[in-house]
Amino acid sequence: MTHPSPARLRWRWLVSGVAAVLLAAMAGLWLGPVRLPPGAVVLEVLDLVPGLDVDSGLDDRQAAIVTRIRLPRVVLGLLVGALLALAGGCYQGAFRNPLADPYLLGVAAGAGLGATAVLSVYRAATGTAAVPAAVPPAAFAGGLGAVTLTYLVGAAGGRDRSPATLILAGVAVSAFLAAAQTYLLQRHVDTIREVYSWLLGRLAGADWGDVRLLLPYAVVTTVVVLAMRRELDVLSVGDDEAAGLGLHPQRSRYLLVGAASLGTAAAVSVAGLIGFVGIIVPHLVRLVAGSSYRVILPLSMLYGGAFLALADLAARVVDTPREVPIGVVTAFLGAPFFVLVLRTARRVPV
Amino acid sequence: MRRHALLLTAAAALVLAGCAGNGSEPDNGGTAPAGDGFPVTVGEVTLQERPTAIVSLSATATEMLFAVGAGDQVVAVDEFSTYPPEAPTTDLSGFTPNVEAITTYDPDLVVISYDPGDLVAQLNALDIPVHLAPDNPSTLDDIYAQIEDIGALTGHADEARRLIEKMSSEIDAIVAEAPERDEPLTYYFEIENTLYAYTSASIVGTLLEMIGLENIAVADDPSQVSVQLSAEFIVDADPDFIFLANAQYGESVETVSAREGWAELTAVRTGRVVELSPDIHSRWGPRVVDLLREIADAVSRAE
Amino acid sequence: MTVPTGPAVRVRGLAVSLDGAEILRGVDVEVAAGEWVIVIGPNGAGKSTLLRAIVGLVPSAGDVRLFGRDARRMRRRERARLVATVPQQPVVPPGMTVFDYTLLGRTPHLRPLGRESAADLAVATRVLQRLDLTEFADRELSTLSGGERQRVLLARALAQEAPLLLLDEPTTALDVGHQQEVLELVDELRRAGGLSVLATMHDLSLAGGYADRMVLLAAGRVVAAGPAASVLTEELLATHYRARVRVVPGDHGPLVVPIRPASAGPAGPAGDARM
Repeated sequence: MTHPSPARLRWRWLVSGVAAVLLAAMAGLWLGPVRLPPGAVVLEVLDLVPGLDVDSGLDDRQAAIVTRIRLPRVVLGLLVGALLALAGGCYQGAFRNPLADPYLLGVAAGAGLGATAVLSVYRAATGTAAVPAAVPPAAFAGGLGAVTLTYLVGAAGGRDRSPATLILAGVAVSAFLAAAQTYLLQRHVDTIREVYSWLLGRLAGADWGDVRLLLPYAVVTTVVVLAMRRELDVLSVGDDEAAGLGLHPQRSRYLLVGAASLGTAAAVSVAGLIGFVGIIVPHLVRLVAGSSYRVILPLSMLYGGAFLALADLAARVVDTPREVPIGVVTAFLGAPFFVLVLRTARRVPV
Repeated sequence: MRRHALLLTAAAALVLAGCAGNGSEPDNGGTAPAGDGFPVTVGEVTLQERPTAIVSLSATATEMLFAVGAGDQVVAVDEFSTYPPEAPTTDLSGFTPNVEAITTYDPDLVVISYDPGDLVAQLNALDIPVHLAPDNPSTLDDIYAQIEDIGALTGHADEARRLIEKMSSEIDAIVAEAPERDEPLTYYFEIENTLYAYTSASIVGTLLEMIGLENIAVADDPSQVSVQLSAEFIVDADPDFIFLANAQYGESVETVSAREGWAELTAVRTGRVVELSPDIHSRWGPRVVDLLREIADAVSRAE
Repeated sequence: MTVPTGPAVRVRGLAVSLDGAEILRGVDVEVAAGEWVIVIGPNGAGKSTLLRAIVGLVPSAGDVRLFGRDARRMRRRERARLVATVPQQPVVPPGMTVFDYTLLGRTPHLRPLGRESAADLAVATRVLQRLDLTEFADRELSTLSGGERQRVLLARALAQEAPLLLLDEPTTALDVGHQQEVLELVDELRRAGGLSVLATMHDLSLAGGYADRMVLLAAGRVVAAGPAASVLTEELLATHYRARVRVVPGDHGPLVVPIRPASAGPAGPAGDARM
């Protein structure tokens, strides 16, 4: 018997998502302050594939620009964008809150504090104005520490609390940690330049080391969250009804939030605080492609990655030779685009 | 799950490709005749021959480069390198540098004072020698060391030495002229009108101490070179002199006098608020002598 | 798979306290297999709490057995396969279609990270057909009218294929036509499918017409239980509802008619009959 079709990721959306990623990647490799012939760029990238040996005709320095400056930056942009959008969608579903973003539970404040602490100590100890290698791990630890603190504050007390309690705990913890960070900055005001530029987010110094660092966390987060996408759909009817359908909503929530926070902390530790992607991309996807998390999560990853890679391209090309902080670009580009979609969408499913 | 496998495979392939990427070899072609100072190694960087396409992203380094006579080897300097006027200023940024943009000048030496993260690594990946000269010396010797480094790297070691001697003797002269005082005169050195000041531990503090001036912002932690003071503290300390490093940003004798409660300060009443010339108070290079001289003159005029 | 035996619901000595206040005390309720038991009572009597305690949404003391098994010892998925609840104020997720919402009911039958099989899709389709909702399958739930939506809520519960159905005020927001429609539907499904139903209701006449047995809950205690005629008496209703009513026999059960107190009445033939 034929029956109506359930919510599924349609092939055409998947294909368009992958196409967006490829387009963004190609644009990021082709364009930049240094003009390079597009064909040669493609050949140079192909040359990297083990087993293939292609001569692109570029000299050493040009080749290095493609493979050691642009390519890792594009890959990192895709990864970070995908992670942040996935985490944002996951948070929105886990908390049934359309205003949720990946920094809801304190990752941003914690990571910022970690980075500031290291930068201040380093500056005080060595007197050098540089961003030491200890910053990413400190940011990572700070981000996760903040989420743990939020959990302890919001979930303590035995009885199952509502999701709102956890969010409020996150607000309190974020405020507290942000204040601590500001205090530190005041005491070490000469580090303000480094801290500020870190806070605004940057993919400019991306190298393969950053990608390697991020990849395992990205994989864990992606696998866990995507595996639970159906549960997110069930959670949308509320904790009581979800329990009546056999779920343990609070348990699922902690698992989802834990995985998403892990990925977010990792992304933030290598790329700084990049806002907007995590909250807007899932909404955009929801508006055009459907409300089921089986659709929203995979598409958010693809479009989030493409979006950030394009934003990064803009960041280095728009005000050349300066680099515009990427957090500024995502908001500048994203907001008008979102308004456009909002106005042309048939419905606002929020 | 196929679509996820696709995505993950693509990501994995790209990463593997990156790991398989070759590291470029340093360019060993072209040896300079021995005896003219090359090849030279300063810190992390080794130059085989005299650089002729220098890019400077540090205003201080630019001043040093031109002062040792390497000005004609400089092809581009960052947007804030305004001195000397003949320096080839561009839109390059020292704070948010774009590596690709730097490469368009085809530099054989890049001098920076700030690495926002991986700039040195990226330039190295492109085989561009980069010299990091941090912009926060604590003593005159630190400044002299940087000048020496610049001299060595550009093939002007002799000029560098002469410059250092000149600076040194000029400073000695200024110090000698400063009168002996039983009680040192106190000062407040303002960086920003939100009452940020240089402390006694900063280079400013060190310099002014040499001509008998005492900073009201005493730092117990030698690494703290600037601090935000409260208005109360300043009024209570009642410094003999107020030096304004932010005069080029709109601060002046009038604006300081107009601050609540400041009209009563000794320095304000007796006209000892000094607007410093632009930039000499933030470029820790050859013009540090000018800073000292300007302050010493202001102090002696007031007495 | 264990075949359910014994009464569908057997509650003995149930007690529930929330925030220090005693909501239920010493409550005994029984629903035999295939029966329809309706719980009535004034506002605040604890009717909803009773249903929630049975499915374990609030902590409780006392004995709760579902089909002979201790409800508290059951794992959630197991319980979800035995009991389906239609809550009083369900959450309507924006953007979800009727079909997807119905499919949610299959959750307890899916493997933890699995997705719906063809069999699951078939169950949902059948349920929608049964409830005359096939034409709405691709519509968004939030765009349906109250009556249609109530049927969809029922559809999700039925998709669970659970032998016990718990309904919390299933007719409150509906007009009289839709009220009857929904209750007839439940009754039909009950007879055809061997369903046991435990419902709470406001409307006493409706309750009287459909219940096999009734339970009158007041101030957290059971004050009467038995066939409708023994529970819907003028005395009991006057005492516990503090209302003046007249009970008249109907075709399927007693009908309860509220009577306006005699002291105030209409002004006269030409006067305004304000209520």
